[in-house]
Amino acid sequence: MLSMKNISKVFKTDLVETHALRDFNLEVKEGEFVAVTGPSGSGKTTFLNIAGLLEGFTHGDYFLDGVNISNLSDNKSATIRNEKIGFIFQGFNLIPDLNLAENVEVPLRYRGFNSAERKRRVQHALEQVGLAARMKHLPSQLSGGQQQRVAIARALAGEPRFLLADEPTGNLDSMMARQVMELLEEINRAGTTIIMVTHDAELARRAQRNIQIVDGQVCDFTMYQHGAVADKPHLVAGDKRAVEPSSVEAEEATS
Amino acid sequence: MFFYYLDLAWRSIKKTPLLSLLMVLAISIGIGITITTLNVYQLMSENPAGDRSDKLHGVQLWSQGKDAWKEFNGQVTYQDAYNLRKSDVPVRQTAMFVTGLALQTEDPDFSPLLESVRVTDSDFFEMFSVPFLYGKAWDKGVDTEAMYQVVINEDLNKQLFSGENSIGKTLYLDRKPYQIVGVTKAWSPSPLYYDVTTGAFKDSAKLFVPFSLAPIEEYQSWGNNQSWKREPINNYSQRLSSEMHWIQYWVEVQDDKQRDEYAEWLTRYVEQQQLIGRFESPEAAAKVSNVEQWLKINEVVPEDNKILVGLSVLFLLVCLVNMLGLLLAKFLKRAPEVGVRRAIGASRAQIFSQHMVEVGLIGFGGGLLGLLWAWGSLSMLSAHFDLEAALTQLDLTMWIVAPSIAIFAALIAGVYPAWRICSTNPSAHLKSQ
Ligand SMILES: Nc1ncnc2c1ncn2[C@@H]1O[C@H](COP(=O)(O)OP(=O)(O)O)[C@@H](O)[C@H]1O
Ligand SMILES: [Mg+2]
Repeated sequence: MLSMKNISKVFKTDLVETHALRDFNLEVKEGEFVAVTGPSGSGKTTFLNIAGLLEGFTHGDYFLDGVNISNLSDNKSATIRNEKIGFIFQGFNLIPDLNLAENVEVPLRYRGFNSAERKRRVQHALEQVGLAARMKHLPSQLSGGQQQRVAIARALAGEPRFLLADEPTGNLDSMMARQVMELLEEINRAGTTIIMVTHDAELARRAQRNIQIVDGQVCDFTMYQHGAVADKPHLVAGDKRAVEPSSVEAEEATS
Repeated sequence: MFFYYLDLAWRSIKKTPLLSLLMVLAISIGIGITITTLNVYQLMSENPAGDRSDKLHGVQLWSQGKDAWKEFNGQVTYQDAYNLRKSDVPVRQTAMFVTGLALQTEDPDFSPLLESVRVTDSDFFEMFSVPFLYGKAWDKGVDTEAMYQVVINEDLNKQLFSGENSIGKTLYLDRKPYQIVGVTKAWSPSPLYYDVTTGAFKDSAKLFVPFSLAPIEEYQSWGNNQSWKREPINNYSQRLSSEMHWIQYWVEVQDDKQRDEYAEWLTRYVEQQQLIGRFESPEAAAKVSNVEQWLKINEVVPEDNKILVGLSVLFLLVCLVNMLGLLLAKFLKRAPEVGVRRAIGASRAQIFSQHMVEVGLIGFGGGLLGLLWAWGSLSMLSAHFDLEAALTQLDLTMWIVAPSIAIFAALIAGVYPAWRICSTNPSAHLKSQ
């Protein structure tokens, strides 16, 4: 489904060059739930943005669903984002002036669905996250956990094959985080491939597969069976920050 | 998608009402000034003769001597007018000038009015398509056998006879009785192309009397009297035989062939006059010009006017630069939202369109408000500067022209801000959340 070979990404700002990803290799199969961990600044968000066609890359090959992503036009990648990919962000990123239904409707608008189809899908997506009753509310009238559920509904409304989540629980307390995680698991069971970046080792462990990014590279990955694993994944010696990510770091990673 | 963008645009405008108002104001002031000057320009450069423009021709004769004006004059002498009337080449023709007469009715309580009166030939009404409410022009015979007949306009007919059919009634002009033979409908071409000698943007006369009465009644000329020769003019017959230019002369021809024929006739006339000692200048000649050429020759649209339109367009540009700055600030503030839209499937083109629709909507508002400014400034011009009413009416086409220019101008100002916002990297703003 997703295949990255020797991807590298260099940010050039003024005189500084940052190698956010180097020789990055990853294969993700259809239907997998992958949790991505790693220290702050290691390149997790960069990886997710490249995977989601929000950002280009400097070298390497990237195939999504068999399509070579290297030289897509803006229109084509917008269409792929719209039809195949759903995004969930740490900061929810709902549009504050639009009510819940209108927020969920946004990707459907760009997809060109007619109004009846949009209405049906908005209704269904909001039902899935349990917020259909509050359709007309503005995002500011909801709690953080509810806002994130709306963001998930927005990602789901287009029925994507591929869900990318960048620290979706980073701004939520542990109870809300668990609710969101359960929702993601449910979506995954229904067949959607999910890649989730998280700082929460406990949540990461619930995923089918964990990978860790350190210094812009996939450092190690281990297959886990659902719920069967107690141990932390093997980590590179010396990288203590990655072992016990503190909440302060979680904050840092967002800035 | 257009209506979705329109909806988003409207929400965005409502969200920042002050900023939006500022932008609408900026563009509306530019549009207001542009439309004001454009309106005056358009009304001035209109050709009111329409499809008869190529048939009607003003006649000019270079009858002045060697040391006189070095150009054709817009009027001719009485003796030339008298001679030109004898040509049978044109379909219709008229000599004319404006005089002023004291007007009275049969009602002894009616206090006399001093009115300007056009002294002209019967062909005048056909030639310049004057519509009649009652009656018609005096008979062609009257042009040679003078009779005291008069044509009045609808306004005067209302004033004197409360709008009733007044054909056959009598009017007194300078105490002489004139019989009313026709009442014209309201009619006032602008510019008043057949007589631009005293300003092209005045109203047509309310009364018309036969030219053949001029030598009998000795009507004084209320127009331009232009002399190049020192000669005594102490009485009317001296005036009639003088070299003074004070009569307008117009002919109507069927087609270009007949026009050439008439030009030929005029050339022979000039030669003949040279034989008897007039038309002394080596440049002596005749010239016929159709309405369009006539308006140009007489500079009915002053050059200043074009400069004014140019300046107002420059001013509009300044307003647009202002607007560009405001738009840039407004759009870039929205970068995070645009980042989200891009991430969930909007293409650059779609983001660009969304913002251009918003800019267009602001432009439309500016256009409407600009019309209001234009209307206001035109009424102010007419109130304080005594401009002719014909020039200070807001032309109907401006209701289309103003919003079109405004939208177009706004779109130009919006291209850069819209391009900036659609080409920023969406991930840059998503990360910072
Ligand atoms: N737009 C950018 N310009 C310059 N450097 C960047 C940019 N985005 C990310 N980086 C750098 O790339 C590295 C990886 O960043 P990121 O992918 O956000 O890490 P993570 O999500 O794992 O915390 C960091 O060193 C960061 O400073
Ligand atoms: Mg990150």
